[in-house]
Formats: sequence, structure tokens, C-alpha cells
Amino acid sequence: MTTHLDSEAAPHTGAAGHPPAKDRPAIGGRLRIRPPQGGRRRNSATQGGAARTALTFIAPGFLLFAALIIYPMVKAFQMSFYDWNVVAGAASDFTGFHNYVKAYHDPVFWRAAANSAVYMALTVPPQVVLGLLVAMLLNNKAPGRALFRVLFYLPVVTSWVVVSLLFQYLFADSGLVNWMLHDVTHLTAKPTPWLAGRWTGMAVVSALGVWKGVGWSMMIFLAALQGVPKELMESAAMDGAGPWRRFRAVTLPAVRPAAVFVTVMLVIGGFNVFTSVLLVTGGGPADSTQVLLTYMYQQAFKNLDFGYGSAIAVLLTLLVFVLSMIQLRVFRDEPEEAA
Amino acid sequence: MRRHRNGALALGTAAAVCTALLAGCSSNARSTGSSAADGATTLTFWGTYGNGGNKVQTDALNKTIIPAFEKAHPNIKISYIDIPYDSLLQKLTTSAAGGKLPDLVRADLGWVPKMGALGVFAPLDQKMSDFQSLAGKTYPGSLATNKFGGHYYGLPLDANTRVQISSPAALKKAGLTTPPATFNELKAAASKLKAAKVSVFADSGLQGWNVYPWIWSAGGSVTNADQTKATGYLNSPASVAGVQLLADLYKSGAIPSLIAGDKGATQTSDGLPKGTYANILDGPWMIGIWSGQYPGFKPRYSPVPAGPGGSVSVVGGEDIAMTSASQHQDAAETFIRFTQTADFQLAMAKTGQMSVVTSLAGQEAAASPELKPFIKQLGTARARPSVPQAPQIDTVLQNELTSAFQGKQSVQQALDKAAGEIDPLLTATH
Amino acid sequence: MTTAVHPLRRPRARIRAASAARYAALIAGSAVMVLPFLYMLSTSFKSQTYVLSIPPQFVPHPATTANYSAAWASDDFARYFVNSLVVAICTTTLSLLLSSMMAYGFARFRFRGRELLYRLLLLGLMIPAMMLIIPQFVLAKYLGLIDSLTGLVVFYVAGSLPLNTFLLRGFFAAIPVELEQAMRVDGAGAWSRYRRLILPLAKPALATATIFTFLASWDEFAWSLTIITTPSKQTLPLAISLFQGQNSTLWNLVFAASVIAVLPVIAVFLIFQRYFVQGLTSGAVKG
Repeated sequence: MTTHLDSEAAPHTGAAGHPPAKDRPAIGGRLRIRPPQGGRRRNSATQGGAARTALTFIAPGFLLFAALIIYPMVKAFQMSFYDWNVVAGAASDFTGFHNYVKAYHDPVFWRAAANSAVYMALTVPPQVVLGLLVAMLLNNKAPGRALFRVLFYLPVVTSWVVVSLLFQYLFADSGLVNWMLHDVTHLTAKPTPWLAGRWTGMAVVSALGVWKGVGWSMMIFLAALQGVPKELMESAAMDGAGPWRRFRAVTLPAVRPAAVFVTVMLVIGGFNVFTSVLLVTGGGPADSTQVLLTYMYQQAFKNLDFGYGSAIAVLLTLLVFVLSMIQLRVFRDEPEEAA
Repeated sequence: MRRHRNGALALGTAAAVCTALLAGCSSNARSTGSSAADGATTLTFWGTYGNGGNKVQTDALNKTIIPAFEKAHPNIKISYIDIPYDSLLQKLTTSAAGGKLPDLVRADLGWVPKMGALGVFAPLDQKMSDFQSLAGKTYPGSLATNKFGGHYYGLPLDANTRVQISSPAALKKAGLTTPPATFNELKAAASKLKAAKVSVFADSGLQGWNVYPWIWSAGGSVTNADQTKATGYLNSPASVAGVQLLADLYKSGAIPSLIAGDKGATQTSDGLPKGTYANILDGPWMIGIWSGQYPGFKPRYSPVPAGPGGSVSVVGGEDIAMTSASQHQDAAETFIRFTQTADFQLAMAKTGQMSVVTSLAGQEAAASPELKPFIKQLGTARARPSVPQAPQIDTVLQNELTSAFQGKQSVQQALDKAAGEIDPLLTATH
Repeated sequence: MTTAVHPLRRPRARIRAASAARYAALIAGSAVMVLPFLYMLSTSFKSQTYVLSIPPQFVPHPATTANYSAAWASDDFARYFVNSLVVAICTTTLSLLLSSMMAYGFARFRFRGRELLYRLLLLGLMIPAMMLIIPQFVLAKYLGLIDSLTGLVVFYVAGSLPLNTFLLRGFFAAIPVELEQAMRVDGAGAWSRYRRLILPLAKPALATATIFTFLASWDEFAWSLTIITTPSKQTLPLAISLFQGQNSTLWNLVFAASVIAVLPVIAVFLIFQRYFVQGLTSGAVKG
């Protein structure tokens, strides 16, 4: 779902039905999950014409992907080494690493990177924790469960553009939030200009991210929890384990792979935050809430400096790629195939 | 298993139906898109007349002006495409990259030098034999925005400027009956209005469009005459004094945080009719917006408060340009000529798009009396520097001044730094 | 394990208290989730004068449906609606077909270069799509896909493949190999196994992928803005963005249009979440 305006939605829109190793509750033990090494001997389809068969399944999709995503990716990478003239057929000057050096010396670039990191730090842990909490609350056969699930999920299926406008409106100086804090509860002496400062602005954007994302992680945890065999819970309880011990000994190990998956996807999504920042704060005031993607957008499409914009995009992709690889290495996440 | 196979089958069928559907859509489009059938040329014209759901301008264009043109020129058809203002630059750029441009563009005057420098817009002074005579009839301030590197890449299409617009109801809360006419009256009104919980003035940013009127009215300037240097002009004592006036009012709480980039603050278009803001500077389009949204609101229009330099506002507006890639340049020129006629100019003036043709000012004021204050202000209004790097200049100005308003530096320091950063932007060629 | 008193059996009062607390938390949480929507709904029935009033109006008074008729009547809203629907349905169908095939290939076969291809695919999750717009536009022009709904669908499908494949591959991999082996013994080929075993068992995952692919293509703005020019081919997000003007934003119109735009997505979610839940509860995946 690498769509454009909604690019950061991709991770949020992920594998709600992803089966986080529900077939291996593995209490306490560290899950041994390998990167896809192949089906191994147990997989009967591995010998002979397997490669040819596999390719008939993979080729149509992959060729499309290669042509429409990888090729433009290479082009964008190439652009980052030029003072790129966007007009068709016009010559562009090769400038080597100039755009990257420029980023290194650009304070706004660093601030944008810091803001992206702040956004990630403010949104990922709450989404994981709250998502798990709600999933546990909903993981029983109580009446109304389906309704609650839909309600928590509503923000996920609503467009980023709409909810961004909505939050800007709610956090406006004379918006609903200030009305509650100031006029109703008198918690604040005067209306808070939420979008007028860097940290309050980031807080609003992060609150939006959490609000919109909780339902997504909830769904994945719910799927994971359904895989926890009832007997395990019961036997743990019989051994005299209280709710907290049961949570630590049974629930947590069972949802660990799901938590890893959620975390990796949310970190990717956190660094790719774009629409909400663009629409809620516009990166302002005075570039103070720029994140990497909004800054890239400004350089490329407002200042028409495509070389520099591409360089920022390349740096962002590298950062996200390295982070994801580290996380996968640390957690050994890759949900293994059949085996 | 049967059920399952049906599922897969359904997926396959749906895929087939889709292909058919899309094929249907595109063939349908092909038949509507063709224009050569009746021997007429279709010109594509991109603009931003839409103005956020307010259809007054698009209606005038699509229902009156274009039909009149097509009647007079039966072999030319105009296809006007409305594009969201925030997205036009992006769409133009991507289209330029793909060589898939419209024939005509109504571009914000700040973009024309850039598009000319990139080669997206054609040099009209070289293409049109009668360019000089057409250009000579327009306001020099508007015309100048088309010039880059010795050539003109467009003609003025409409002009506008900012005047002071006031809410009589808000003024009345502080016992005032007339809008502030000078800097001193503005300062005096500020404290009275503050007691009545009304902001004396509000604006939505600190870019050139927002602060130049104060700088010029204070007797300051932005650059030297040939637009090559800002240092010594933008940070001159008079220029600083103009901005300082706003900064002081802001610090005393008489100007809301909207000016310092708070996107959560009440917009001027809502704050004025609701009486929370007493005065704003804005353009003639507000007349149409308010008549739709706040039918009961009767704003008062007056000149920008005068300082030592008089009452000087900023020229805004749009230019019309032809793309170099246009396959129908003769037809496009015909339409450009038409945009300079009284028919076009006066019809658009009725919707708040002021005429750029000097000789029409009288007729315009007679037909649309609400435009009088704007026409008068336009007489002394000045243009922003017209260089390809204009967007960056605005970013620099806004960022430095915002930090000054936030108290992180003085206005003098902010303008010193801004001028230093703007100097190289003025001389950059693209 | 069997003889002891059931340890989870607690006194009734405690159960009731716990259950009450659980519901209280759920209701509070879902209120936070839903209130902004209700406020949006309410705003869409207000006239502009009441949009930003203090104190806020929760129940629109006077209520008006003028925003809905204005949004619907503006230009060709019904047409944009249909365009978006066609694009979203086609994108979802094609993407699910291609990505489920890829996922099956990646999950069940071993071949040289598989790792590389898969990593390349995952890279597609990480690149900011905005940056691809210019090269993609040049490509789309070369392929003759500019200004057509097909151009939207083809690129949306390509963009959705990494995530869907990632999601489905994990799911397919969890399906026990033994089931496939049994079919193989019966002489079923790879295609037949994919169609008759894998797809039906992966219904929950397919439902999830459907929900999200539909949502993403329904909402997409930047690419649609870039390649679509002819008004009659515009999609809904473009139409909504036209309500945000340079000089003012008509919140009530924006929200009315957004409410209209959100309905199909909610419908798709409600329809497909049934399959999702079914799949989870039936335990089909565990085999």
C-alpha cells in the first residue's frame, strides 16, 4: 500500500490477520525464528522444477513491482546525485555527493530527523501497549465484543486526510480540546495554542498517530491472543499464578512475535509520517515541526530542488532499512514458514 | 472444497470484469477527449479559480467568459481545469517532468520567473508580435512579475492587493467608530480593544505578502532597485520599524498567534466576521467568501494604516502563461489576447479578480463599487521581488521573523539574518 | 490438571466487578475513538456560522443538510464517487490476486535468489512514495497511462504488492505443509493446491488485505492529482481537496464530503471483518 499521500499508512495498514506464530505458544522460551531459509526437507515442493513453478507464481507480480516501483526507485537514487532539472529532456548537472553534504550542514534537516525520531518514540510504545491492553480486554466472549472491535477500528479505516483535518479542528485555539480544558474543567488558565509550538505541535500529531493506530495493533494482538490455548491459562492459574504472573508467563510469550511485528511496522511507519504533519501543522511554525518527509516534500515540490529532496528520501530509506534490519536481528522476528 | 473453488473463481472473474470495466472507461474517455473531429482545437487551461468551494469565479469563467470566447472563435475550444491551489505547483512540476503540460496556465505571479527559468513557460515577448502593446496597457507592478532574465514569460491576468478590512461590530466594542488610519491610531486602538477581548489586528503568517505592506508603509524597502541585494534595505532602520510595530503588538497580546504560524488559531476569514478580530489586511476575494458564508456581515474597507512612508500595500495576482510544450501556440496566443480585453477583465472583476488593464479602472469601479478601495490601494502598491527563488525568500523571512516574534531574537537580528540569506537567493538563476 | 477445583472460578461478585471494570474501560476507550467522528458528523450538519463557535455546539442547531446537497451537487461528485469505487475495487482484486500468488511462491518454494527478491520487495515498504512520483510519472507517460483510471489502478496495485505479499506470506507459511502433501499424493498440482487449499484457508488474511488495499486506493491523493487531469476522471480525494481553498476552508463542506467518502470504507470493513472473525474463530488456520 505504498500509496502516495498515505504512504505512512502502509505500516498501519498492515497484517491485521498476520498469524503471529499462534502455532507455538512456547512459554517463557525464546522463540527461535529464522529468516526465510527455504522450506527445508519437510517441504515437499522444494526439488525439481520448484524454481520454475515458483517463478510462475512470483513473476507476474514481481515484474509489475520491478517496473513500477524498483525502476523509479533507482531513478530517484540517481537524481540525488544531480542538481536535477525536472523539465523533460533538459540537462542536469552531476554534483556527486553535494546534496548529501548539504543535508549534513542543514540544521533544518537535522531538526526534521529529530522530530521524526520524537514522533516514533511518542507513538510506537503507546500503540503497542494500548493495542495489547485493548486486545486483552476484548479477548473473551462477552456480549458487545464485535461492536467494540468495530469502534476501536473505526479510526484505522478512515483516511489520513480526513482525520488530520479533524484533529486540526479539534486542537484549534477555539476547538473542542481547549474548550474542555479551559472553559469546562478550567485545567488551563487560558486556551493552549497547541499548534503554535514545536513540542505541543508534535504532541498533537503524535496523539493523532496513536489514536489512529491503536485499533490496528489491537487487531494483530487479538489474532495472536486467539492462538493462546485455554489449557495453558488454566494450568498456569492452577499452579497458583496470579493475573500478573499469568500475563508474564503465558500471554506475553505468546504475543511476543506479534509485538515484534507490530513494533517493526510501526517504526517504519513512524519515520514515514507525512500527511498528518503536513495537514495539521504544515511543518511550522518556522519549520519547527518538520519531519523528514514533509521537509523532503518542501524541498522537492515547493522549492523544486529534486536532487536535494531525493537525497533526503534516500537517507530516510537507508535509516529505516538499517533500523528494521537491526530490529529483526535483535528480535529474530521473521515469522517462519510452515515448519 | 466446492465452495472454495467458487471463491477462487470469483476472484478471477472479478479481475476479468475489472479489466473490462477499465477498458470501457478509457474508451469512453477517448471519445470525449478527441477534439479534432469537428476541426476545432482544444486548449487546456489550468488554474485555481475554484477558491475552496466558492464557485463564483469558476462559474463566471465556465458559463460566461469561455462560451463568449468560443462563440467569437468557433475553431477554438477551451477546457478549463480547476486545480487545488496547494497542489498546482506540484502538478505543474511533475507534468513538466513528463512533458505533459497544458497549453495555458494561470499561475500565481510568484511562480512565473521560476517556470520561465526552467523553460516550462514560453517567452511571450518573443512569441507574440503584439506583446509590447498589450504589456504597455497593464500595471507596471503586475507586468514586472513576469520578467526573468530579460524576457517576459507571461502577461498579467488579474491583480489584487491587500487593504485594511475591519469589523465595525468589533471596533464598536471599544467605542471606536473608524478603523485606524495610521500606525499611531493602530497602537492606540490596540489597548482599548484588548480590554474588550478583541485583537486589534490579525494575519496568517510572516511572509512577504504579510509584512511588506508594513515595511513599505514605514518607509522601508525590501531590496535595491534592480533586485540584487537585500542587505541594507530589508534590515534598514525604517524596515525594522515597520515589523517592530507588529512584533510589539504581538508581544502585548494584541495580535493573535495566527501570525506566528499557529495553524490552530482562528482564521482571519472567520475571526473578523465573528468580531474577535477588529482589523485584517486582505484581498478582494473576501467579499465573495463572506457573502456566501456570513451573509449578515458588513465589513468596512479602508487603506492600509499609514506610516512615515504613506499607505503602501503589496501587489498580488495571477499571470497567464503559455507553456513551451503547447502544440497550439497560435490558438493559445489568441486566448491570451482575449484575456486582456474589457470583456474578460470586467467580467472577472465582478467576481473579485481585479483588472490589470489600467484604462479599465474607471469602468471597473463603476461596475463593482465594492472594489473601489482596492483599486485605489493598487495605485501605490508595490510588487514583491520577482525572482525564481521567490518561494525560498518567503521561507527565510517567515522563519526568521517567527523566531523573532517568539522572542528568540530581536526583529533587527532577524532581518539582518534574513537579508544575509536572501542576498544569494536574489541572484541565483534557478 | 483435572481434579483440582477450577482455579479460574472466582466468587461471582468479583467476576461481576471485574466485568464491570472491563466494560468501563472499553466504553471510555471507544468513546475517545468515536467522539471525534460524532463531532465531525455534527459539524457536517451545521452552517458555517456555527462551525467554530464557543461553546461548541454538539447537536447542530439549526441543523441543515445543505452541506450534503452542496457537496453532492458540486461539479460531478457522483461521478467521482463511481470513479473511486471502480478504481478501489479493481485495485483490490488485482492486488489480491497477484500478491497471493507471490506470497504462495515465496512461502512454499525454495529457489536461488529467493532471499534477494524478497528483500527487494520489502524495500518497497520503506521508500517514501512521494519521491517516486516524478520517475513514475515519466514512466506512466511512456506507457500511455496518463489521465486514465487504468493508470491509477496499475500503480496502486504495484504499490500495494509489498505489504500484501508480506502479510499473506506469513499466513500461508503457517498453514501446515502436511495438508498440501496430502493433496499432492492425490495428484494435485501447485496451482490446484494454491486455489483449493491455500486461498480458502487464508480467508482472514485475504479479508484483511482487502480492507486495507481498498482503503488505501480509495483515499489516495498525490498520484491521482498527478496523473488525472480530465475532470470526469477525477477521484473523490481530489474533489474533497478542492473545498480547501487558498483563502478559506469550508469545514462543514469538507466534513460533509468526508462523511460521504468514509461510508464505503466502513461498509467494506463491516463486510470483510465478518470473514476475518470467522477465520480466526473457526481455527481453520491451525488446521
